[in-house]
Amino acid sequence: MLEADLECFFFDEAVLYLSFHTWDKKMVGLSVGERNFIKGGIAQDLRNDGRKRLTYRPIYVETGVIPQANGSAKVKLGATDVIASVKAELGKPSLSHPDQGKVFIYVECSPTAEPSFEGRGGEELSTELSTALERSLLGGKSGAGAGIDPASLLIKEGKVCWDLYVDCLVISSDGNLLDALGAAIKAALSNTGIPRVQFREAASTDEHADVDVSDEEFLQFDTSGVPVIVTLTKVGRHYIVDATSEEESLMSSAVSISVNRRGLICGLTKRGGAGLDPSVILDMISVAKHVSEQLINKLDSEIEAAERANEEEP
Amino acid sequence: MEYVNPEGLRLDGRRPMEMRQLRAEIGVVSRADGSASFEMGNTKVIAAVYGPREVQNRSQQMNDQALVRCEYSMANFSTGDRRRKTKGDRRSTEISLVIRQTMEACILTHLMPRSQIDIYVQVLQADGGTRSACINAATLALADAGIPMRDLVTSCSAGYLNSTPLLDLNYLEDSAGGADVTVGILPKLDKVTLLQMDAKLPMDIFENVMQLAVEGCKAVESHIREILLENAQTLVIRQGYGS
Repeated sequence: MLEADLECFFFDEAVLYLSFHTWDKKMVGLSVGERNFIKGGIAQDLRNDGRKRLTYRPIYVETGVIPQANGSAKVKLGATDVIASVKAELGKPSLSHPDQGKVFIYVECSPTAEPSFEGRGGEELSTELSTALERSLLGGKSGAGAGIDPASLLIKEGKVCWDLYVDCLVISSDGNLLDALGAAIKAALSNTGIPRVQFREAASTDEHADVDVSDEEFLQFDTSGVPVIVTLTKVGRHYIVDATSEEESLMSSAVSISVNRRGLICGLTKRGGAGLDPSVILDMISVAKHVSEQLINKLDSEIEAAERANEEEP
Repeated sequence: MEYVNPEGLRLDGRRPMEMRQLRAEIGVVSRADGSASFEMGNTKVIAAVYGPREVQNRSQQMNDQALVRCEYSMANFSTGDRRRKTKGDRRSTEISLVIRQTMEACILTHLMPRSQIDIYVQVLQADGGTRSACINAATLALADAGIPMRDLVTSCSAGYLNSTPLLDLNYLEDSAGGADVTVGILPKLDKVTLLQMDAKLPMDIFENVMQLAVEGCKAVESHIREILLENAQTLVIRQGYGS
């Protein structure tokens, strides 16, 4: 079964990283009895909140929550609550890739989610989440496998391009932040309108080139290629999707796989101290591919519903 | 620039003594002990309260009262032009301090000795009056956490532009360079707990402007009370005591 499955996978510049997880080891304060109860439930495919091992919590999407941004969305996954906003600014393409725009992802962890994020406490987790998201959604250095085609952000080769700043904020955290952030970014990008731009070449050498930004015409992104992230968390001998923070505190390792609509793997991150058998990883990938199909469909219908609700409002 | 036109309307179409639309919601952060969001027009903040709980840093523990702490942070996307700010800059440290002192004055800290109460405020959208909005959100969050208080503290700002006192300044009016008076009151005890002003004003006009801000605080208070009552009613119904 595994061999047959393998053929349909293309590791699209997938990189395997081993990193220390900061967010799984935080103190949740479970007793031995509670830990055994959660582990026992997972072994019997009936989790604390009544879910099966491969069931997500209900997901709610709201778009256009930040009016000043070009696009924004709020995603709720159980008690996990995140906001993503997209701001587009005119910039200059990098020297190594003059034919591409740039996308940056920043995550901020608000202390409202967890008192330990106070001051600089959330910085480590923020950086870890930002890099994991960039790895999952932006593809490799060449831009291949990116959710948003960086060439579509170009206005004039080597001169002007759009810089997309994706800012995320974690408001409330109850596990599975990476999947929620990935979903929020996908929703925010679907909500984003970039002004149409006219580029006028400079008439003479001492004159600056002119950029005309339209405030009426907006271009939408093609977000069908933006992958979703599915994190499989291994607790005991089994793995689960969409772990709560209680379940994350019991994990031995976790693999985050980003899969796009076509079933291609766009990025992969393994976290956690314990080692995984290579065959288990391959098994996890095939499960993630299966789960991602449902997640993408659910997310797309939620985004569509949110967009429709926005239009109906005056 | 004209901030009040001849018809007596402000840039956003309000009358001089009109407040922006208030919106509040309780329980927005499910894992916190108490939380609330508060909107004044386009300004939107979230407050979360954790505690009373064990003091994290033993050396700060007080044997006769609770330790109140506060942190103010602004989201990257909260302002018009995107700016990556470092945490703990002077402005946010000052606002944290102001909020902490204002809230500490109304919490009955002597009832919870050797414990700690954390208030975290997060600005999602800034359009003037974040200080006031943060205090109002913090009051709601503290009430939601069930922390004993003397009174509900409420806050509102007022300014003076084009020889007209204006209530609840937005960002444009705030950055116009006129006086900006931020007042926080304990409405039932009729006491002022917070008073800040920049720029200059003649004495008699200051009195008017401050009176206007106090009126604003009272309007906020009645709104907050309504929200709390509504929340209490839904809680009662959820517990099955409703008729």
